[in-house]
Amino acid sequence: MKNSWKKVRHGATLLAVGALGLFLSGCSARGIYLMHPEGAISKTSFHYFLLDVGIMLLIIVPTTLLAIWATMRYRKGGHGAYQPQWSHSTAIEIVVWGIPLITVGVLSYLSVKAIYAVNPYNPEVIAKAEKKAGSTPLEVDVIATDWRWLFVYPQQHIATTNQLVVPRGIPVRFRLTSTSVVNDFIIPQLVGMIDVMPGMRTKQALIADHRGNYLGFSADYSGAGLSWMHFNTHVVGKRKFQAWVSSIQKTPQSLSYKGFNRFARPYIPVGQKTQPIFGHVKPGLFDFVVREVMRGKTWNTPMNMTENMVAYLKKQSKLQKEGYY
Amino acid sequence: MLVHLQGSWSPALGRLCMKQLAFLHVPILEYTFAVVALLGLAAVGAVTYFGKWKYLWREWLTTVDHKRIGIMYIIIGLVMLLRGFADAVMIRLQQDMAIGPHSPGYMGAVHGYLTPFHIGQIFSAHGMIMIVFAATPLLVGLMNIIVPIQIGARDMAYPYLNALGLWLTGGGAALVMLSLFIGNFAHGGWYGFLPYFELPYSPGVGVDYWMWAFQLSAIGTSLGSINLIATIVKMRAPGMTWMRLPIFTWASLSTNLIALTSFPVLMVALALVGMDRYLGTHFYTAGMGGNLMLYNDLFWIWGHPEVYFLILPAFGIMSEIIPTFSEKTLFGYATMVIASFAIGGVSWGVWLHHFFTMAAAPSVNSFYSITTMLVGIPTGVKIFNWIFTMYRGRVRFELPMMWALLALSLLIVGGMTGMMNAFASNDYMWHNGIFVVAHFHMMVLVIASSIFGAVEYWFPKLFGFKLEQKWGKWFFWFMVLGTGFVFVPMFILGLAGMTRRLDYIPYTAWGPYLHLEMVGIGLYGAALLFFLAHLYVSLRDRESRRVGADAWGTGRSVEWMTHSPVPSYNFALIPHINARDEWAWRKDNGLTELHPGDYEPIHMPKNTGVPLVLGAFFFTLAFGLTWRIWWLTALSTAAIVIMIIVRSFDTDTDMTIPPNEVERTEKRRSDRASDFIATGVPPYAGGPVGTATAYQRLPEPAGGTGASSGGRL
Amino acid sequence: MSAHSTAVDPKSASLWARHYPGHDVIGTRTFGFWLYMLTDAMVYAALFASLVVLSHASNMVGGPAPSEFINPRVAYEETIALFASVLTYGLAMVSLKKGSRRGVTGWILLSALLGLVYLGLSVADNVNLFQHGITPQTNGFLSAFFAIIIYHAVHIVVGVAWMLVMLLQIAKEGFSQNVVYRLINLRLFWHFQAVIWVFVFVFVYLQGVVL
Ligand code: HEA
Ligand code: HEA
Ligand code: CUA
Ligand SMILES: [Cu+2]
Repeated sequence: MKNSWKKVRHGATLLAVGALGLFLSGCSARGIYLMHPEGAISKTSFHYFLLDVGIMLLIIVPTTLLAIWATMRYRKGGHGAYQPQWSHSTAIEIVVWGIPLITVGVLSYLSVKAIYAVNPYNPEVIAKAEKKAGSTPLEVDVIATDWRWLFVYPQQHIATTNQLVVPRGIPVRFRLTSTSVVNDFIIPQLVGMIDVMPGMRTKQALIADHRGNYLGFSADYSGAGLSWMHFNTHVVGKRKFQAWVSSIQKTPQSLSYKGFNRFARPYIPVGQKTQPIFGHVKPGLFDFVVREVMRGKTWNTPMNMTENMVAYLKKQSKLQKEGYY
Repeated sequence: MLVHLQGSWSPALGRLCMKQLAFLHVPILEYTFAVVALLGLAAVGAVTYFGKWKYLWREWLTTVDHKRIGIMYIIIGLVMLLRGFADAVMIRLQQDMAIGPHSPGYMGAVHGYLTPFHIGQIFSAHGMIMIVFAATPLLVGLMNIIVPIQIGARDMAYPYLNALGLWLTGGGAALVMLSLFIGNFAHGGWYGFLPYFELPYSPGVGVDYWMWAFQLSAIGTSLGSINLIATIVKMRAPGMTWMRLPIFTWASLSTNLIALTSFPVLMVALALVGMDRYLGTHFYTAGMGGNLMLYNDLFWIWGHPEVYFLILPAFGIMSEIIPTFSEKTLFGYATMVIASFAIGGVSWGVWLHHFFTMAAAPSVNSFYSITTMLVGIPTGVKIFNWIFTMYRGRVRFELPMMWALLALSLLIVGGMTGMMNAFASNDYMWHNGIFVVAHFHMMVLVIASSIFGAVEYWFPKLFGFKLEQKWGKWFFWFMVLGTGFVFVPMFILGLAGMTRRLDYIPYTAWGPYLHLEMVGIGLYGAALLFFLAHLYVSLRDRESRRVGADAWGTGRSVEWMTHSPVPSYNFALIPHINARDEWAWRKDNGLTELHPGDYEPIHMPKNTGVPLVLGAFFFTLAFGLTWRIWWLTALSTAAIVIMIIVRSFDTDTDMTIPPNEVERTEKRRSDRASDFIATGVPPYAGGPVGTATAYQRLPEPAGGTGASSGGRL
Repeated sequence: MSAHSTAVDPKSASLWARHYPGHDVIGTRTFGFWLYMLTDAMVYAALFASLVVLSHASNMVGGPAPSEFINPRVAYEETIALFASVLTYGLAMVSLKKGSRRGVTGWILLSALLGLVYLGLSVADNVNLFQHGITPQTNGFLSAFFAIIIYHAVHIVVGVAWMLVMLLQIAKEGFSQNVVYRLINLRLFWHFQAVIWVFVFVFVYLQGVVL
């Protein structure tokens, strides 16, 4: 039983890979991020994705073929025998209810397993890895503003903007919140989405397998700056990570609560290569932001802000020079 | 004023001022305005030139005839479909241009030609218009026309309410169109985001436009659903038992039960947004004890059932077209009905799949993942039943059938990708992504295809002539091609991890796919031209394309049992129903006479202008609210209340058509099915010569039906 | 198997319904009104669900705890007024069965008056709360709290207005078909408000006392 189940799984995976291969062959695979997972979470998701697609193709492909066959064979003037009164067959009814029922049963089982495996609050795959490695995870507090990402490293007292640096192979645990509206945090090749909500705290976790640069962005519509609200994730070696941390800590710029209130004003990072980094961050900034927002603090968007984007950007850079942000 | 507003406000004009007349200073809108104004002037001019104002007012604007109301619904739907398509073209063009940091920008945009302020309005308007002001009116219109005829009734249960529903929808559509030129529309997406739609983050009038237009259509659709349910339950002809109900009517019943119970929830979801924005309450605010997640729940408790509200009538249409053109009985009638209600029932328990990423407990996500996938079972059953309907049939590839088959194939693709979304760990990777967009466009194109099929299929019933097939086929094939080119790359981009609602695409690697999609838009554009040619040629050659009662020759249900075009009273005498596919059964037994004689007086409701005027006042009410012009709001409310009360005192609402007039109308019909009276030739099923009927006709005793029907009443 | 499982003999089947009386108007209208009330029940369901969602301690920031200001006594008096009104409307329907115009008119007038009493109590209570700075703008919980109470009160206003219109129509038309179905629908409407009030009383007032 167990064995035949494995066989089904194997066959399904093969089928899925085959179909996807056909699907993607010819097109360059560059930029097809979800198909190239590089982290523990994204790999697990991808594994279940293949199973899911494979099992569904087992029923979708025959259904499609049946449909084509029936239309062709029973077309007017075709070879099919004509039986206009035939409209019921208990055997067929049982099959057409039964097969989808069984399929959905199998898919449900897999879906639940997958959900627990990658559940953002406590992903089983990460928990296992942590236990095995015995290492303490790196903590990162993510604060989404309109429209930048602030990554605070509470253990290291540093913060970066639109740039996330994490060590390879070590679990990273995120706490996330937003100042204004809802965003969605995703790094397609490393970890899936989690909503980032104002006045609330959500969690996420990841382990990156390889060194490299990965794209991350906000997925939920959050206003005019959404399209530019992306960030780079550098996965580096452990030693390099330490070096990076100390280099940031040397930066004179520090982030206070008041400074944060200024930082969080609407800002669209169009074409900005360098974003602020902070060598020192006031402890408890994350909880401060959550609390403030719960008390009703808002960072209002001006009317018709981007009606003329070019003009707006000019205004923005002028304000920036004046130290408005 | 209860809330603090950005910008100016005056008692006379509210927030309205010259600066808000966007068409005066935004280049794209200048052209759009010119075009719309020209088209409007042309229409007004044409009506005046041909002296048709009186006709328009008497026969259309004040009508309570369910067929005409349905036709007007469909016209609104088609116009809005065109508008939605224009929006889609603009989105695609922007995403074709704004790729990579080096792409140029025009007209105030950094990349492409649309600023975030504008593209936000465009995709919000596209989504909302397509769902609420295109698909919904098109389907409601079809149900309005077909259901009463299919159940052998003279009209809907509440003809006056029916007209009111139409004009509310019309008012909402007008409001959305107005937002193009006066002020702006919501920026955040068709379903609204909280707290993004609160005043601090959406300070303009866009959200207000969105909210009130949505609200008007919600009221209109709920009224419509009350009407259709009451019609189906209360107005069936004698002998029309539940198990003889035509399948499209079943679909309408199940779908309107969804509408009846879900639209009120939408009204609440929107009303609470309104209270936050107008009164300063804290339902959805991030602070002060509000709960922004409440909105997601309330909206999608409506939103998910809504998509099944749209797809079930489409399934109903497919279930009518496929048997007709397979020349065979529908396979598994009872299971089809059960499946419709199963889909409707389960649709209530799946809404959370629209926000799997909102950090619900894994057990909760598991529950909703499973319930969502359960919908695949009844839907699968429907697909198999359609296949087994064709099996052992004689499939004719006429246009309605081609659309139905297209819908079937799209359903398989859309359904499989929907099941992939429902698998929550997948959705974590691509929620709010282009994959989801591609999924639901497959599904909404199922609806669009069935609608085009339905229009081809029932057009001769309403207008007495068939649409031509040559240009119609060009239209069909170019829609297929356009769909392929737009949406196959979209699926790939979805798997690439591209997200929705982007104004600018930072990664040039996605460029080729985006350019391919633009090719698809070109093909769609060609399809639109073919559609116009299709209509034009059909209208031009209508005399040579006249048909009888049973336009396709293999019709099966009751609507094919009356003349084409259908007289205002539908049936001179209410039919007595004896079988599930009554008309097919009558044809089998040679009982195709449509002129039983001995006519009786017919009671019909009288025309009235009240619904139109009420709709207009609802429009001004919504407009006043949007711009916070309080005197207009108060005046419109008072006018509405007074009109409703005054109308309730009106007792002169009905009229009677005398029998001799019925007889005159009946005699004028030139259906082939009725030629028998004049010529004595045995009645033919009504189709053009040479088409087969569903069954081999039984040998008929001499004398035929005409003679015997008198004795059998 | 054929589609016509309950086969009718085509030789004796009747094909057209002669002298078909049509559907019964009053029944159809009343059925439609039931459907309408189902939609209104859904509105209330959504509002009550919102209240439940917004009833946590975090939703009450910046305002007093419900038990500090909710006054079940006023609600109790309102209950008596509303239920009395429903009772008198029921008596109006008894008179309708008897065909007594004076009975119907008198009882409806009394129901309308009791409805006004209810409204008076409700307005006084809410104005009092407003004066103590307890308003829908205070916090999420209070937004939901007042939304339900005010939405219900609006129904009562509509009901009373409807009664007054019916008094005029009875005077003008007597018990015509239109008047009768409207009186029946108004009864449904009025009873429905009482039923909803039970929920308001339990979930808003009584529940509020323990929160
Ligand atoms: C019923 C619903 C419906 C329909 C039919 C469509 C149809 C189409 N949609 Fe749309 N779409 C949505 C519902 C729909 N859409 C929704 C809900 C969203 C989400 C919005 C949001 O983000 O909030 C969306 C978003 C959306 C996006 C946004 C992507 C993003 O977020 O980044 C795009 C981009 O390409 C798109 C494209 C298209 C295209 C190319 C079509 C084509 O299929 C169009 C084909 C149509 C035609 C070719 C028209 C033919 C017209 C006639 C025959 C009528 C003629 C009439 C007269 C002459 C009177 N859609
Ligand atoms: C008419 C419209 C329509 C229809 C019918 C459906 C049908 C389905 N939809 Fe879709 N959906 C939308 C319109 C529709 N959807 C829209 C508009 C959105 C997005 C709104 C927005 O965000 O703007 C959306 C979004 C959406 C999401 C959220 C994605 C996200 O935002 O992250 C999900 C997730 O589960 C989903 C799932 C499904 C499923 C499982 C079905 C099922 O009903 C499909 C069932 C059909 C089949 C499965 C195919 C036939 C079956 C067989 C051949 C039998 C055998 C097969 C199996 C057993 C596998 N849909
Ligand atoms: Cu969901 Cu916060
Ligand atoms: Cu859904």
